[in-house]
Amino acid sequence: MEYKVNNISYKYTTDGPQVLKNVSFSIEQGKVTAIVGPSGCGKSTLVQIFSQVIPKLIGNGELEGSFDVPEGTFVSVVSQNPENQLFGYGVEDAIAFGLENIGMPQTEIVERMEYVLDLLKLQYLRKRSVDNLSGGQRQSVCIASVLAMKPDILIMDEPVSSLDPNGKKMVQDILGELRDSGNTTVIVDNNLVWSAGIVDHVVGILDGEVVFDGSRDEFFQNFELQEKLGVILPQEVEIYRALSVKVPDVKMFYNMDQARAELAGRTTAKTRAEKEAAAESFNPVIRVKDLVKQFSDGFIGLKQVNAQVPEGKIVAILGQNGSGKTTFVKHLNGLYKPTSGEVDYRGESILGKSVAQISKNIILVFQHPEHMLFEETVEKELTFCARMQGVDFTEENITEILTRYHLENEKENFPLNLSMGQKHMLTILSVLLSSADVILLDEPTLGMDGFLIGDLEKMVLELKKAGKTIIMISHEIPFVFRLADYTVILNHGEKVFEGTKEELVEREDIFDKINIEFPPVVRLSKELGLDEIVFDVDDFIAKVTES
Amino acid sequence: MDYLKYVDGNSLLHKLDPRTKFMFFIVMAVLTSIVKSGVALLFLLVFFLVMWNVCGIQKYIFVLVKKLKVLLLFIFLLWFVLGLFEQPAVEGGPVFFQTFIGNGGMQICFDWYDFYKGFVYSLRIFLMIASFYTVLLTTNFSEIILGLQKWKISYALAFGIGLVFQIIPMIITELNAIMEAQSSRGLEIEKCSWVTKIKNYVTFSFPLLFRVISKGQAISLAMHYYQLNFSVHRTAYKNIKASKYDVYFILANAVAIAATIVLHIFFYIPV
Repeated sequence: MEYKVNNISYKYTTDGPQVLKNVSFSIEQGKVTAIVGPSGCGKSTLVQIFSQVIPKLIGNGELEGSFDVPEGTFVSVVSQNPENQLFGYGVEDAIAFGLENIGMPQTEIVERMEYVLDLLKLQYLRKRSVDNLSGGQRQSVCIASVLAMKPDILIMDEPVSSLDPNGKKMVQDILGELRDSGNTTVIVDNNLVWSAGIVDHVVGILDGEVVFDGSRDEFFQNFELQEKLGVILPQEVEIYRALSVKVPDVKMFYNMDQARAELAGRTTAKTRAEKEAAAESFNPVIRVKDLVKQFSDGFIGLKQVNAQVPEGKIVAILGQNGSGKTTFVKHLNGLYKPTSGEVDYRGESILGKSVAQISKNIILVFQHPEHMLFEETVEKELTFCARMQGVDFTEENITEILTRYHLENEKENFPLNLSMGQKHMLTILSVLLSSADVILLDEPTLGMDGFLIGDLEKMVLELKKAGKTIIMISHEIPFVFRLADYTVILNHGEKVFEGTKEELVEREDIFDKINIEFPPVVRLSKELGLDEIVFDVDDFIAKVTES
Repeated sequence: MDYLKYVDGNSLLHKLDPRTKFMFFIVMAVLTSIVKSGVALLFLLVFFLVMWNVCGIQKYIFVLVKKLKVLLLFIFLLWFVLGLFEQPAVEGGPVFFQTFIGNGGMQICFDWYDFYKGFVYSLRIFLMIASFYTVLLTTNFSEIILGLQKWKISYALAFGIGLVFQIIPMIITELNAIMEAQSSRGLEIEKCSWVTKIKNYVTFSFPLLFRVISKGQAISLAMHYYQLNFSVHRTAYKNIKASKYDVYFILANAVAIAATIVLHIFFYIPV
């Protein structure tokens, strides 16, 4: 059986632009369908139509066509922010909420509760309060609460976008369970990294039109379209894509096992060349000495952390959620005052200075752009930091930045009307005109599609070239390894590693400890016995093809 | 430390039927509106202190005191200043300073009872707020909804009230995040004048407004996904009922209320 999306066109207002144009495809029962496309392509509008938000809650648009489903079909949605979707203090309260709403008798609610908790292996959470769960656990409870209502179609709208690797793994496992138990699931996400192994069917949307409708394997082989849609793919697929250009007979692979099998015969193990220690001078721009942070409720966020940030480098702070990354970074720009210990910038303590004073040297960009944007135009927002710090800038500076990062047409527009990824990019761009030479980026890729991530990478490398120091927190491990020179790893408030990424890849025990995997190129470099461990796809392909 | 939100725990107060706690707040609100004796109010404060310590929530009350200190000081000063223009109603208290202003002969009299009056009024307000806060700290919003429903309040209203208590901590978190984000971009909020600080709050209010609107939209979408329809009869997964702890709590409160009233009768000073 199939659910048919039949020639849907939609405009939010009668005289507004056409958001969806004759969209038609099928959602197969019991399968996982992924809807992909860049920011603003109409994916979210489609979710609203499937879930009847349009026209039930948003009724003033123009809807043509239909979503053909049998009468009584129940479609429910898991959104990207579970904190906005969970009603009830405890896990059981949150799961029971929807069932109580439909007037289900208490005995049946108890049965459904057991069913979903068993299905999703969440029994251990049932007596916990929602507030105390990790991001992944919250999202899992959110899925359980929707699933308890036995929807015919479950839509997941970017369900892992704000999760750490542990959280992503948890949702990934749940998605696997759902597919095995025959649920019909639709994933709306331009990032296929976490769901590549589970998705059966892919629908690509561009400018409101369906430009691809086929199987996952067909999609993974359509390189031109992947580029066009800005889809974020598993690094294994990127390797396959780059390799197949040079080696025509290579067979499709999209996970580590397949990549290993396909590449094993194509490379010869070599002795890894001993690299001479880099002769570069290590000039720390920030020094953290014996940093301890104990919060007023007694929780110790940082335990005697010592670290140094080398000048002019890209430094990644890694660790799972709750490891102390954000607490650490907030000490570097003065938002948090240490319980004990010191933070120095160029040999001088920053303690005693206000956050605004410190921002002239060390500036932090938050992960949620809505916390930062408040000016009425993109141009004013771009120049906010410079104006606060009394830094001179010209009209040419503004035009150059906006043009380079494809925001020139938005100059006079209201910043909050931009897409999530553009909003995030704008908050990062606003530090370019500031006087700071150390830039802290908290989850800079959040909400960005492949195009924007490409722009971000270029920007970070240019800042480095200009002598600035970039410190970033990111859960996107391949992105981190492509860019970072130096890493600091935190686990439960303790620093467990500090050094270059070349040093880090030799310490598998560290990544085991924090339960994060090295990116596929690193793992394959090691497993295939390449003479050098590489960190991005191009270098990897060069190594494989030369051997 | 968090404030204005439920604190997870297993204390006596946490174990009570929410209805008992609602009644506690109502009774205490009435009592602190009536009682004007400093001695009686001090006794009530001691009772509250014991209750907070037994239930392990004293540190959260301390946070409340810190947040309320400006308000309490204002109330104290207001009644203190008003007292200066009044003759002491009771004779015998020490008068520190007395004078007449202008030809009309307006009297200014600074006496011990001016302090007393300021103290009594600020303590009454504090106890009233603290009794509400005690309920808030120990009753989660699911229990608030259940308790109100048991009082035959419509689910729509009960859910609305419960939702407010779910959203308030979210808004406080958002405001803190916005303040941190803006100061990180160079907006001076620490080393600046009061006027600038007030201006900055206008700056924060804009993104806060948008965040609240966007959260409101997300919550209304979620209500739709969970098929919330106030015209449909809802069932309940959990039930609430009174236990022996409610009996102990009611008895202790009854004794404390009686003692407060007796103290009020014997030690009332009509200032």
